[in-house]
Amino acid sequence: MLKTIAAAMLMSAAFVVTVHAQDGGKVTIVTSFSKDVTDPFKAGFEAANPGFTLDVQNKSTSSGVKYIDETKVNNQVDLFWASAPDAFDSLKSRELLAKFTPSVTGLPEKVGSYPVNDKDGYYFGFAASGYGIMSNDRYLEANDLPKPVEWSDLTKPEYHDHIAIAAPSRSGTTHLTIETILQGEGWDKGWATLKGIGGNLQQVTERSFGVPDAVNSGQTGIGIVIDFFAFSAQASGFPVSFAYPSVTTVVPANIGIVANAPNQAGAEAFVNYLLSEKGQAVLLEPAIRRLPINPALYEKAPEGFPNPFKDPRFQSMITFDSDVSKKRTDVVDTLYDQLISFQLDNIKGATKAIHEAEKAVAANEQAAARALLTEAHALIAAMPITAEEAASQQVRDAFTGGEEKTARQAELEQKWAAFASEKYAAAKAKAEEALALVD
Amino acid sequence: MALVQSIPIRRVSAKPGQIFAIALIALFLAIFLIIPAGTVIYTAFTEKGTGALTIVNFVDFFNTDLFRRSFFNSVYVSGMSVVWATAIALPLAVLTTRFDFRGSLIIQTLGFVPLIMPPFVGAVAMQLLFGRNGTVNLILNDWFGIRIPFMEGLNGVIFVQSLHYFPFILINLSTSLRNIDRSMEEAAQNLGSSGVRLFRRIVFPLAMPGYLAGASLVFVKVFDDLATPLLLNVKDMLAPQAYLRVTSVGLTDPMGYVISVILIAVSIFAMWLSAVAMRGKDYSTTQRGGGGLSRRKLSRGESVIAYGVVGLILLLVLSPHIGLLLLSLATVWSFSPLPDAYTVAHYGRVFGESSLYIKNTLIYASLAGLIDVVIGGAIAYLVLRTKVVGRRWLDWAATAALAIPGVVLGIGYLRTFYGITLPDGTPLATLWVMVVLALAIRRLPYALRACYAALQQVSESLEEAAENLGATKQRTIRRIVLPLMTGGLLAGFVTSFSTAAVELSATLMLIQSNSDAPIAYGLYVFMQSPAGRGPGAALGVIAVIMVALCTLLSHYVIERRQKALGVTK
Amino acid sequence: MTVNINSTALAASPAKAISISDVNLYYGALHVLKDINLEIQPGEFFAFLGPSGCGKTTLLRLIAGFNEARQGKVVIGGQDVLDMPPWKRDIGMVFQSYALWPHMTVAANVAFGLEERRLPRAEVERRVQAALELVGLKHLADRRPSQLSGGQQQRVALARTIAIEPKVLLLDEPLSNLDAKMRVEVRRELRDLQQRLKLTTIFVTHDQEEANTVCDRIAVFNEGRIQQVGTPMGLYEKPANLFVANFLGTANILDGTVSGSGAQRSFEVKGAGSIPIPEGASVPAGAKLVFRPQYATLGTLEPGAVALTGTIAHREFLGATVRYGVQVGTATVLIDAPFHSGETLLETGATTTLGLKPSSALWLSE
Repeated sequence: MLKTIAAAMLMSAAFVVTVHAQDGGKVTIVTSFSKDVTDPFKAGFEAANPGFTLDVQNKSTSSGVKYIDETKVNNQVDLFWASAPDAFDSLKSRELLAKFTPSVTGLPEKVGSYPVNDKDGYYFGFAASGYGIMSNDRYLEANDLPKPVEWSDLTKPEYHDHIAIAAPSRSGTTHLTIETILQGEGWDKGWATLKGIGGNLQQVTERSFGVPDAVNSGQTGIGIVIDFFAFSAQASGFPVSFAYPSVTTVVPANIGIVANAPNQAGAEAFVNYLLSEKGQAVLLEPAIRRLPINPALYEKAPEGFPNPFKDPRFQSMITFDSDVSKKRTDVVDTLYDQLISFQLDNIKGATKAIHEAEKAVAANEQAAARALLTEAHALIAAMPITAEEAASQQVRDAFTGGEEKTARQAELEQKWAAFASEKYAAAKAKAEEALALVD
Repeated sequence: MALVQSIPIRRVSAKPGQIFAIALIALFLAIFLIIPAGTVIYTAFTEKGTGALTIVNFVDFFNTDLFRRSFFNSVYVSGMSVVWATAIALPLAVLTTRFDFRGSLIIQTLGFVPLIMPPFVGAVAMQLLFGRNGTVNLILNDWFGIRIPFMEGLNGVIFVQSLHYFPFILINLSTSLRNIDRSMEEAAQNLGSSGVRLFRRIVFPLAMPGYLAGASLVFVKVFDDLATPLLLNVKDMLAPQAYLRVTSVGLTDPMGYVISVILIAVSIFAMWLSAVAMRGKDYSTTQRGGGGLSRRKLSRGESVIAYGVVGLILLLVLSPHIGLLLLSLATVWSFSPLPDAYTVAHYGRVFGESSLYIKNTLIYASLAGLIDVVIGGAIAYLVLRTKVVGRRWLDWAATAALAIPGVVLGIGYLRTFYGITLPDGTPLATLWVMVVLALAIRRLPYALRACYAALQQVSESLEEAAENLGATKQRTIRRIVLPLMTGGLLAGFVTSFSTAAVELSATLMLIQSNSDAPIAYGLYVFMQSPAGRGPGAALGVIAVIMVALCTLLSHYVIERRQKALGVTK
Repeated sequence: MTVNINSTALAASPAKAISISDVNLYYGALHVLKDINLEIQPGEFFAFLGPSGCGKTTLLRLIAGFNEARQGKVVIGGQDVLDMPPWKRDIGMVFQSYALWPHMTVAANVAFGLEERRLPRAEVERRVQAALELVGLKHLADRRPSQLSGGQQQRVALARTIAIEPKVLLLDEPLSNLDAKMRVEVRRELRDLQQRLKLTTIFVTHDQEEANTVCDRIAVFNEGRIQQVGTPMGLYEKPANLFVANFLGTANILDGTVSGSGAQRSFEVKGAGSIPIPEGASVPAGAKLVFRPQYATLGTLEPGAVALTGTIAHREFLGATVRYGVQVGTATVLIDAPFHSGETLLETGATTTLGLKPSSALWLSE
């Protein structure tokens, strides 16, 4: 590892000297990937394409999108490189990406059930990522907890206050996880699961990396994360495990050429390099550990490395309808924020009360108490809007400021938040009532 | 007689030089603060979709439970942070100014270090020490089966913020305490007062101006800080709400900007309130006679207690740095009181790159500090010594920078300056100079406060004496005012410099290439992956040491300068 | 100002004596107070007089408890106070800078010491009123110190101190921040007040006129040592050494040598003549001749006077008197001659005789 970096540094140093001799120019890339990921790619790309230098600008996904949008009048960026497909969608819809056909051929069209590339050719998957449950072994052992495997496991009472998740409005990858659950289990049942997990959350982080960071350090036991966070943590020696639940999907991490790129040739060269076998091989490095999009690479993968193209687990993963997802992105994120993130104390309080009451009722079964608990569960699961409403033009326009809006975003948010806090309070009251009955 | 008459006239009429200065500063603030921030914040007053002007967004703000709750949480957290920061700063300030205490210089220097905490790493280190499963709680749980929720919810924010920002109170309060005339205290003792009562009734009220200056700064900083609540996953506060809404992908939501406007309004209100509270409390001019408070010797028992208290406080306030150091030397640190093993490999990893980051940081932060001192000094002079129309507005505008989120300023810079291209086609916004300017604007309020304090200590009669002896205004400033202000100006420079050196939020938007990046950016890049935690911490340690050394050097220079001037006794 | 004493308003406790014995004080290696021994009588208005840096304020602060003596005793009203902290001593002190707390009103300043003594609110109120009335500032009770003139501030400081009915009153250069006219007025008031309250009072000053006009007795300080203690008149008439003679009033000092012995001793001033030393007069080793300007005559010789020769060096017309500077030997002495209408004055450069009665001369050493 250190050797690779040392070699990479030497090479890049050597190329800085020669660059001006046969100037392919500077290729500017805006990315959310950490230095561990970008350094080996920079070294490899510059070695494979003498004359080009890769200039990496590290920004969070959201600031990257904002940056490209704000600077479009005089664009200086060639490439945008990040995980979350929705960020690319957002760029594409604002006409900030350029069409391109990579020279690398023979790559699969789908990974799991998700299309690898944008259907219009604006961005391309270069690595697959699956969502799942990461856990800290020492933490689970100290708290005497079994390893969770399924999303539904996370709704169990024993995991109360042990789970972390990134806010879907902040993390494109988490958004896709949420959407996967909603599509896999259906709107109402999906939200019931999400709120069940929500009631057990210890924290809702603002950065994607906040979740693996908390699990790595043992501040929290369980995190809902993208797989490579867990794999690279394992490679760094952290005592963590990872499991893909059966309802999940693998989605590609992407790269796209920015519209009016100052160095179009360089941008194309990098995309081609990234998709080539050489570039794909870099993904297997311990500090990166992402699933290559080129199936051939898996022969070189270390023992136990998941193969989304062969592994039966991934074949059973649900089909993901990205059109459905796109239509309700803002609504789903805002619902999650208003019903769970910003109501965390309320939903946790209610959930805890239900857990306690359930334990008491199990020891002293009474129909009336059981009925109250069912009501309490229903109250928690209750949604302020239906799937149809969520995808309706009226609601979507509230978020975009479109013409058909019937209410402003702020008004909807307030309505949903009030709905949630009222229902959670009622659920807590029911649970307490049930507990009083059997106590 | 003629002189007596000329005084009011001189005070009212503005010299052309003053008008020129005020115009220049106004122009600077307009171009680099008001216009960029305005282009972004303007959104708060427009209707989404149509872009029509409206105030309906503000109505929505006050109709939303979340925002109301956030507002009260922010006020509560800021207020409580002031209380706790006071609890930390007060004993340190009292011990160092009123007792013969050997560790005084160390306290004054180390007390400054908490301000130098690079983003991300500080909170990570704090979590490792004080988090739910941090060192302290793991040990407590092992021994007594209890956990103390240091880092959870609003209390966690208060805990971290008071540890981070108490130096503002320490610095200002110490200065005030040192300036109290000794006879003020002796008169009270003579009349039968002593100990805590004496402190409460006489000493503290006399130090009130300094305390208020520090406390209002802490209040506003905490009120506007978004990083700490976010890293502790506290979202129902105003600054995090603004940040979350401004930066979310796809959401073009005016509420984020509405919150920004409210942050700015509250910050300016708080500063105004402290200015009103301080009105007529400028005791330094009414106190005459010799020297600061007498220093008392501590008895053996008191010494033990004092060293104990100071040691405990320093341990607490330096805990982020201790944690950071441990993290930078750790192989794996997960759910254990201390790391599994130690290594210096992380330093090796960052060694090659850090020299570039350090060079950039030093250039950016010192240039920003320099700009701040020049502009801060000029504004302080205009406000305190002239009656030029609009000088108060400069003050408010510069102070407002405190409340403008770095992201908002960063986006504003891109919007304002990206369209302007240099002859070779590169946009103005991509020059590293813009990073310097953004940093300077962000840190201007700190330097401004220091310049005020410095100028307030220069008696006006010294200037009048110079003018009386035939020096023009300009020459008086150059030969009398500036030399006497040097200490304060350097203090302002140090504050600007050291806090700018670890600033990220505006920088992240404006950095155009790795070769232009300061150390905080390098840190950010490392801290995004599990393998990068160690190197990131190593870079953080390097940053802290570098800035601390520069700070120490400046303190040394200030001290020598003061001695040479015979200002200190 | 009319000083209005309602003697029942502020009860003066029986006046206390102050006895200081063998006090020494060091600042590091610096010996600041040297073997101080002093007895101050109950009700006495006592002055510490000396140039700046002589130790007078240091001793005052030591009595108040702000300096710690390494050796010696300070007994006030029969009680050794040296081991007491300042706040237990019940000693009133008025600071040179007045030290009025700017964050409190006049009334609050005055009430402070009473509140520290946990007196009932009504009693505090009564005594504040009485103290302010005493200094004639009742109408300014709600002002802030910064809104008062220097003289008013001084009176507030005084009221604040006497409100606590201290055992003794210490005044640290109380007049130095006032203008000349106010000084004369206030010092008379101070004297008046002290007389009525019968408070043992120590007044620190570097101004001999202040000390002479208000005080019963004066201790003259120099270089950390008490040079002499006495009444103003006694000190003027019989200074113990050259320093005291010089510091109190104007003294002419002539160098010379003693010749002869017993009843035949005389003091020879080089180049001017000699003066017989009266029998029984003490002449310490290395003594110099000292006399006051008004005790010598120019041109004429009174009975019993001896003549010294001199030259008029300068002349100042002061109205009632004319002050001549006369070169006598190597020194210039001052002679005050009464001015009579129509008299011709001596011209500069003129040689004259200086007449001096040996009985009005003193022989003093350093």
